[in-house]
Amino acid sequence: MPEKSVREMNKYERLRYSLASRTFHTAVGGAMILGIVALIIGLGWYAYSYSSQLIKGAFGVTKNAQQIISKVVDPTSLGHDVMDLYRSVPEETRGDGDDAGYLSLYDSFTTREDYVQILSILKDFRDSSTVSDVYYAMYDEETGMLVYFADPDEDEDTVCPTGFFETATKKELNTFLNWNGKKTPYYIEKTDRYGWICTTGISVNNADGSIAGFILADVTLKEVGSGMLKFLLQYGISMFVLINLVAIFMTRHMKKKLVQPINKIAEAAEAYLKDKKDGVGVTDHFSKLNINTGDEVENLALIMADMETDLADYEDDLTRVAAEKERISIELSLATRIQADMLPNIFPAFPDRSEFDVFASMKPAKEVGGDFYDFFLIDEDHLGLVMADVSGKGVPAALFMMVSKILVQNIAMSGKSPAEVIKTINDQICANNREEMFVTVWFGVLDLRDGTLRAVNAGHEYPILKKPGGDFELVKDIHGFVVGGFASSKYREYELKLDPGAKLFLYTDGVTEASNVDSVLFGTGRTLEVLNNNKDAGPETVVQSVNNAISEFCGSAPQFDDITLMCLEYFGKGNTEMKEITVEAKIENIPEVTDFVNGELEKLECSLKAQMQIDVAIDELLGNIARYAYGGSGGNATVQIRAKEEPKAVELTFIDGGTPYDPLKKDDPDISLGADEREVGGLGIFLVKKTMDDMKYEYKDGQNRLTVTKLL
Amino acid sequence: MALKKKGERLMNITKNREENKLTVTVEGKIDSVTAPEFEEFIKENIDGVTELTLDLSSLDYISSAGLRVLLLTQKRMNAQGTMKVTNVNETVSEIFEVTGFSDILTIG
Repeated sequence: MPEKSVREMNKYERLRYSLASRTFHTAVGGAMILGIVALIIGLGWYAYSYSSQLIKGAFGVTKNAQQIISKVVDPTSLGHDVMDLYRSVPEETRGDGDDAGYLSLYDSFTTREDYVQILSILKDFRDSSTVSDVYYAMYDEETGMLVYFADPDEDEDTVCPTGFFETATKKELNTFLNWNGKKTPYYIEKTDRYGWICTTGISVNNADGSIAGFILADVTLKEVGSGMLKFLLQYGISMFVLINLVAIFMTRHMKKKLVQPINKIAEAAEAYLKDKKDGVGVTDHFSKLNINTGDEVENLALIMADMETDLADYEDDLTRVAAEKERISIELSLATRIQADMLPNIFPAFPDRSEFDVFASMKPAKEVGGDFYDFFLIDEDHLGLVMADVSGKGVPAALFMMVSKILVQNIAMSGKSPAEVIKTINDQICANNREEMFVTVWFGVLDLRDGTLRAVNAGHEYPILKKPGGDFELVKDIHGFVVGGFASSKYREYELKLDPGAKLFLYTDGVTEASNVDSVLFGTGRTLEVLNNNKDAGPETVVQSVNNAISEFCGSAPQFDDITLMCLEYFGKGNTEMKEITVEAKIENIPEVTDFVNGELEKLECSLKAQMQIDVAIDELLGNIARYAYGGSGGNATVQIRAKEEPKAVELTFIDGGTPYDPLKKDDPDISLGADEREVGGLGIFLVKKTMDDMKYEYKDGQNRLTVTKLL
Repeated sequence: MALKKKGERLMNITKNREENKLTVTVEGKIDSVTAPEFEEFIKENIDGVTELTLDLSSLDYISSAGLRVLLLTQKRMNAQGTMKVTNVNETVSEIFEVTGFSDILTIG
């Protein structure tokens, strides 16, 4: 198996591991194994049949020789005579059988007529056949020797003259001694003289049937070996050619039927991917493949073609759905903005009114919400306050909320009492409310002259009130039924007195029922705790603190309900009259403003230090307006001063009509640098930030308004 | 210390020169209005001074316009001698502290 994936391979590696090359290797390897097994069997068969043919031939030679000899002479007499002599010679004289002296004892036999005839016949048979030698000999059981009678061999080194003997075991000769006339008797041995030879033969019998001698023939098996070598060579070459031919054929076949179609599918897949990346919608890479192998590969191609078509349809659907979703999302975000703009969301909302400050926020759980708050001046002395929560969420709630909001404000502007206002709204909503929607409403009207608050609670949460010097506490007010519930519901109103410094906190159940990941509710307890931790802060800080506390508490848990909060601080009338001075924005007019402000500060029993710091602030802020606001062309600067209670503070607002510029966005200078690295300038705003307690900037009605607060 | 009344002179500068030593006493306030005058005064009197002492015992406060002049003066004196600021009241001291000027100036 290759070590890297096919993607990382170069061209040659791919070729090496390709299906075609694997097929070739497998075919060659398989055929080789098959060929070698066949070769071994073939060689064995060849050796067996060739040698048995040789042996049979040699046996025939001995058989014919014995018959011819028996017809011409009586071979037994030669045999008896030689054996008699052999047995009569003492063993020590016999020696090794090739002793010249011993052999000379048999010299007389070579001239005997029967010997000459036998030798001549044996010689003829030898010359006319494939045997290497054919000879006449007898086995002497007593000495275990084979004694030669006649051997036509002409080679002096290998000839066995008459009387020559050599060791022969009974076992070797048993086949001849006990031959039953069937099968060819033979034995094979390896000799020093001739190498591998096979000896076969037939007995020459006496008249009584006993054996007088054997006509034996030697066949060398050298030719079997050389024949095998020749066979091996021919077989090997033809096998090699055949194997390669078969392998090439198989490879070509595989290539055509398997590799090429698969490659085509792969190419189609590649082209398909490229088209998809380029954003081509409908493609026909797989459908036009036209693979007709009729097997699994064709099936694969067809499935891929189906997939291509199905995916194209699916993509179409997906694109349509996505476009639809996009459209809805755009509409919803537009709706979110419209809804947000319906609620008063520019703060400070009433910069000209010194009797109160109000801040509110609404965070819908979905794009649009069903909660709403509202505040509006009914007349010069009456402020309407609304906090409401429509049943349900999302678009239906938002539509109902819009209707409710407009109804409340329109009817409240008529100057009716809160109870009458809510009753009228309830009747109007109930008149046509098939969807059974309802809304909980807290509605109050604050008399700005004396702090009297008249309110109605139609199924809404308890308001939370902080009296001057006290803590935020729940007001367990009288509850009426929700608006939109029953057509003829009656609503009772109640009265609260807000003293200067009092704060009223209104909210929806999205605050108390906000839950964290463990489904623990934020609750009224935590709400009161956060409020009381910020009890001296202004309405904006109060609202932001509660919002922050809820976000922190909920963590990653999703927001389930709209979260809406409003905080009103009542300062009272008269106590916070605003004074203002307008001068031409010039450096030389700063002392005039400083004198004016100092005069007011004296009335407030301001400490000398605070006064100095305020003077510095005036110098810095008016100086900036004089130098930069109007860029050369002149203009006016206005400074307003307001005294604040709870906590005791003075608020200065610097107003100019020059270029919009938020000095709070300017980076603080690096005050750790030494004299030589320090830039001249840029310190003014920083100094004011450090010495004043609060700074706010807004650009409104073409004016820069910078408000600084100094606690006294 | 009484509050300055309307129309009263905003700043008053006196000097005492002994050879290379110059002592400048500033009364009132150094702000956008008076800072140019203060800067002019320093420019006119600083030539040849190697020891400059600013006595701020009667200075009510100083705004960034005044700090700017102090910084320029300190830079000038770094090149030609030494500069010391003395008798700084609480308000001014706090302004020096907040703006990092207490690290730049030698206050004694």
